[in-house]
Amino acid sequence: MRDAYIIGAGQTEFGAMPGESYRSLFTEAVDHAIDSVPAGIDADAVDEAVVGSLGVGGRQIGLSGPAVTEHAGLDGIPSTRVENACAASGYAVRQAVQAVRSGMADVVLAGGVEVMTDLSGDTAKYWLGVSGETEWERLTGTTFAGVYAQMASAYFDRYDATPEHLSKIAVKNHGNGAKNPNAHLGFECSLEDATSAPAVADPLNLYHCCPTSDGAAAVLVASEDAVEEYTDDPVRVAGVGAASERVGLFQRDTYTRIDSSMEAAATAYERAGIEPDDVDFAEVHDCFAIAELLAYEDLGFCERGQAHELVESGATELGGELPVNASGGLKSKGHPIGATGAGQIAEAYKQLRGEAGDRQVADAEIGLTHNVGGSGGAAVVHVLEREVAR
Amino acid sequence: MTAEQSASEPGIDAVGAYTPRLRIDAEAFEEAWGRFDAAGVEEKAVPEADEDALTMGIAAAERALDAAGREGDEIAHLAFATTTPPMAEEDLTPRIASTLGAPEDAATRTLTGSTRAGAQALAGALDAVPWGDGGPADGGIGLVVVADCPRGEPDSGVEHAAGAGAAALVVDADAPGEVVDRASHVASYPGTRFREAGDDETSGLGITQYDREAFTTALGGAADGLDADPSGVDAAAVQSPDGKLPYRAAGALGVDTETIAAGETVSHLGDTGAASAFLGAASAFDDGAERVLLAAYGSGAGANAVVIDGPVPVDAALTGEERLSYAEYLRRRGEITGGEPAGGGAYVSVPSWQRTTPQRHRLVAGRCPDCGALNFPPGGACRDCGGRPESYEQVELPGQGTVEAVTTIAQGGAPPEFVEQQSRSGPFLSAVVALEGPDGGEVSVPTQVLGDADAVGIGTRVAATIRRIYDQEGVIRYGFKMRPVERRR
Repeated sequence: MRDAYIIGAGQTEFGAMPGESYRSLFTEAVDHAIDSVPAGIDADAVDEAVVGSLGVGGRQIGLSGPAVTEHAGLDGIPSTRVENACAASGYAVRQAVQAVRSGMADVVLAGGVEVMTDLSGDTAKYWLGVSGETEWERLTGTTFAGVYAQMASAYFDRYDATPEHLSKIAVKNHGNGAKNPNAHLGFECSLEDATSAPAVADPLNLYHCCPTSDGAAAVLVASEDAVEEYTDDPVRVAGVGAASERVGLFQRDTYTRIDSSMEAAATAYERAGIEPDDVDFAEVHDCFAIAELLAYEDLGFCERGQAHELVESGATELGGELPVNASGGLKSKGHPIGATGAGQIAEAYKQLRGEAGDRQVADAEIGLTHNVGGSGGAAVVHVLEREVAR
Repeated sequence: MTAEQSASEPGIDAVGAYTPRLRIDAEAFEEAWGRFDAAGVEEKAVPEADEDALTMGIAAAERALDAAGREGDEIAHLAFATTTPPMAEEDLTPRIASTLGAPEDAATRTLTGSTRAGAQALAGALDAVPWGDGGPADGGIGLVVVADCPRGEPDSGVEHAAGAGAAALVVDADAPGEVVDRASHVASYPGTRFREAGDDETSGLGITQYDREAFTTALGGAADGLDADPSGVDAAAVQSPDGKLPYRAAGALGVDTETIAAGETVSHLGDTGAASAFLGAASAFDDGAERVLLAAYGSGAGANAVVIDGPVPVDAALTGEERLSYAEYLRRRGEITGGEPAGGGAYVSVPSWQRTTPQRHRLVAGRCPDCGALNFPPGGACRDCGGRPESYEQVELPGQGTVEAVTTIAQGGAPPEFVEQQSRSGPFLSAVVALEGPDGGEVSVPTQVLGDADAVGIGTRVAATIRRIYDQEGVIRYGFKMRPVERRR
């Protein structure tokens, strides 16, 4: 099986962008990705495109893949949309890797886009939470925050963590996001801010929840046969893992971990031939701060029930042993649903190439991205590795 | 009908009564309006946003069946009486039958349009022949469900008095509550209390002497039709549109005012419409009365008088738990809320909802024939062994369980289907509850939990109850929620 490489990646600013359409955002992300290819690339070299989007607002539910790639000038190539809620573009990248490894394509564009901030308050209520289990879970009046809050309630009941640990995660991610020019909420916050914010779904408060954002991200994946044309120091996709889990929380055996994350991570580590200890930095799916806490355990960064100690230790801060969400994470960088997974890869690409500016992780050689759909119905983990001077 | 009745004559087996947990007192109205127009009402019951005549009636019916030691599948005759049916057109008895697990061939009927609809329903059940051996469905029971939550214009006496509650009577042969005598009377008196077609607020012309004459004439006529002497009863449960009018009928009924006081609930529950005299009777039997006169009146006018010799087993919950301000009261009643927001997105169609009614109404789970695990809802691959059984064994869960995970959805955070509920009732609890199977095992279900956040946590014991889940496209969707049955551990 051929190796797959990231030869370029980019994203738009995440945030509220009333002047942009889903097509213009996607096109901008494609331009950033193309511009980032060290030796340059002609758009004609792209064999295929995979676009992640939930389709919030219903602006182009059908054929949204071709609708954005035509706008970006990628006419005629196979183009499709993949949907896996908040993990849509993480899965789009995985599909690009599959296409390249299988030999069906040499260069594949994988990206994602979402526009969420142009909806009326009423319409937004209908769209937020469409990825929860609809027939039963949603009809108990739960929102997304509600489902993660239920997980937090069970986790806090079982282990020693407290809501203050969630607030500390928020403070960390905002601190990182303040260093990221593309962040939606790129400001620092105090622990006081993050503990005294209004409740959203007890025990989660506003600072434990990510914003809804507009944005797009794009990643160029190339085969080992093609990679040398585009770069001398590519980023290798060392391992990919993905798994699914029951969509409704109530159908699961436990609420204090996300099995799909565990499965996806185990597969990615195995394929990459590494252990969690080998990871230099990670971009994890912190749609709610409890999700980052669970991710520490599900990804093997600490023992079960010990995530709060990892928070306390400072290891996951930017200068720590294992910086997590140096970009600001979903909390501060923002969460344009369909763009988030590709955005994580774009961040990892920047970090591995030493182009992350003030938020650069020192000596970053192996990065992990962790993208979750819904409350864990789908998860995908990528392990990326810097290859120097081929 | 004579006082001497054969043993196979139908009587009252047991009574169940239910009122919502919310109360508002007269002072709250006085503060808001500068006056309170419901004489003799000190406080009254207020339905939660997810309650209506149907849900209250089901709650009372479950209590009545419990008190009688009977099951829903024994129901042969089901009558639902209310002046406030949640839908003006659509038979609501199939939903009641479904939630109670009544057989599909049970005779059902709805009576409405008058506050004596409950008495008419009782008369119909008693007349359903033949009872006793070979009676309805060979020994089946009758169930009369009477529930009401009247409303009027906010500044009207009807609204100030308007309460809420439900009673249900199990009717059976050889029952402890013997129906000694009954009579009815009509006399044409238009305009005392009415609701125009298409309106949901009851009003009246407020002609005091005329209203009083209609009331006493109809009730007096019914009492006159009795062979039994009303003066011998321990309590007279008299229709109570307010706390004053029933006493005006003492003379016409042939009872003294203390006897009426022994059968009144209006001072604490308000005007409970069709359920008024029934809640009075339930309360009186619960207090130890042995012989009760049930005197129901409906404007128009007509009255029914029924003398019941008990004692009759009663399961009644008539006390309030939470007091509302007037502003909270207006919110609960939907006077100042905006309804479901417009929009699109996630959507559960009525047919897909209907397919899940065995689960929503009766908690029907499925037992995997291969591994024995309970699945809820049943269907698809088994959540435990992962197998794909051809069919699951249908298992009705008893409805008791334990909270496993819970959150409070803060104000403003509800999905659109629940925006109106939240506007009316405020933050609500959404949880995952592990429900016990009838023969061991358990299965988790997502559900709202009623009550206050501080009374509910992981480990709280809960029991199922039927509520309105949400309304969409004009269709009310009823299903289970959970109520705490003990304080947090």
